[in-house]
Amino acid sequence: MDLIFENLTFLLKGAYYTLLITVVSMFFGFIIGVIVALARLKGNRLIRGLARIYVSIIRGTPALVQIIIVYYGLVDYGITLGPLTAAYVALSINIGAYLSETFRGAIQSIPKGQTEAAYATGMTPWQTMRRIIFPQAARVAIPPMGNTFIGMLKETSLVSVITVTELLRSAQLLVAQYYVYMPFYLSIAVMYWIMSTVFSSILNYVEKRLSKAY
Amino acid sequence: MAIIKTFELSKHFNNLEVLKHIDIQVDQNEIVVLLGPSGSGKSTFLRCLNGLEDITGGSFEVNGIHVDAKLPARQRKALIREIRQHTGMVFQQFNLYPHKTALGNVIEGLLTVKKMRKDEAVHIGERLLDRVGLSDKKDTYPSRLSGGQQQRVAIARALAMDPAIMLFDEPTSALDPELVGEVLSVMRELAQDGMTMLVVTHEMKFAREVASKVVFMADGVVVEEGSPQAFFDHPQTERAKKFLRQITEH
Ligand SMILES: Nc1ncnc2c1ncn2[C@@H]1O[C@H](COP(=O)(O)OP(=O)(O)O)[C@@H](O)[C@H]1O
Ligand SMILES: [Mg+2]
Repeated sequence: MDLIFENLTFLLKGAYYTLLITVVSMFFGFIIGVIVALARLKGNRLIRGLARIYVSIIRGTPALVQIIIVYYGLVDYGITLGPLTAAYVALSINIGAYLSETFRGAIQSIPKGQTEAAYATGMTPWQTMRRIIFPQAARVAIPPMGNTFIGMLKETSLVSVITVTELLRSAQLLVAQYYVYMPFYLSIAVMYWIMSTVFSSILNYVEKRLSKAY
Repeated sequence: MAIIKTFELSKHFNNLEVLKHIDIQVDQNEIVVLLGPSGSGKSTFLRCLNGLEDITGGSFEVNGIHVDAKLPARQRKALIREIRQHTGMVFQQFNLYPHKTALGNVIEGLLTVKKMRKDEAVHIGERLLDRVGLSDKKDTYPSRLSGGQQQRVAIARALAMDPAIMLFDEPTSALDPELVGEVLSVMRELAQDGMTMLVVTHEMKFAREVASKVVFMADGVVVEEGSPQAFFDHPQTERAKKFLRQITEH
């Protein structure tokens, strides 16, 4: 126990990086997700095809492999990224693919009559998207998006392999220093659990608010 | 003066010919009721007129804007957008925006399409909701309105764009019987105020009393047209007679 308290700031710093990586990747993943979802729904054949291949590759390969390719693999092509940057890039690209599927499904779930009603009053396709479809699709997409966020919180532990000192690697470093396993691994498990639970309850609250807004 | 005129307007979906050389005219201040059995192409016809479907043959004119099937897509799109700003459409399923209040639904087009100032748009929106008898519901979301009230909001939303013609596609078919009357009476008032209307409906009493002209369609062709008296009392064709028998049976 004392060992943990002595090293608590070190562990909390790891938790901070875990959170930071999650938020940053989620932010860029969100942007990628929206663009790719629109590309798949509204793009011409070529764009639709490219977007589909991207989603298929990302979903069909392990996140760990993607992270390693971005960090070690790109070096062969003269692209050297710092560990943290590589983590942001790999995870953003990864979340983007999953979120694009969420967004695409959410947009498609809005009845065609909504678009037709908007078109009938003279709104352009883009005005219709922005004013009529997105606000409704957002409600559909928020719960699965929250789940992606919580999933990502845990998935960030993968970037420990490229020497980003997030929560898992913090524990590994302490283990290497003190030669005891359980206290450190248990305490980071608790920290993951606390973070997931906090975000789950925030998500629950948001979902409740959403369901009674109209 | 013709607000709508179609010239051999045709439409097919892949191999299915839905509209075959339709010639219909709707003059200013006229109420034209379009009748016909289910699947005869009535909805498709209305949807062609405001570009929700692309025509595949012939041409049509709405409020002086001429659209020909032979025009390149880009050019046709521009004309359609112009036409949509002069036509109002009311759907069977209302299609109100669920995330906007009654007033929000009515003023949406004024804000985005006409780029009107918010206070101006609200002023118009409130007047229109009053006209359909719903001023007390302006801040209510569609999910808390009855079907009849939703459809009246939808009518107000279409009127907001100050259309030269209103297209109605079975506006009362999705309503419980006791709610049909309130929507029809709003439509009657519109007719009295001189609105030009093209109405697809199965409400025969409405057709007989309000229509200036009845057009009977079957299998994508106009089978018969004339005054409501002539059509209902002296149908000329076997198709029309059969249709009227079936309608009056229930
Ligand atoms: N989007 C579509 N794709 C293929 N067929 C369609 C489509 N819309 C309508 N149809 C067909 O066109 C015919 C006419 O339909 P519709 O215009 O809805 O008739 P009505 O409104 O008179 O009942 C029907 O046979 C229908 O199945
Ligand atoms: Mg129909």
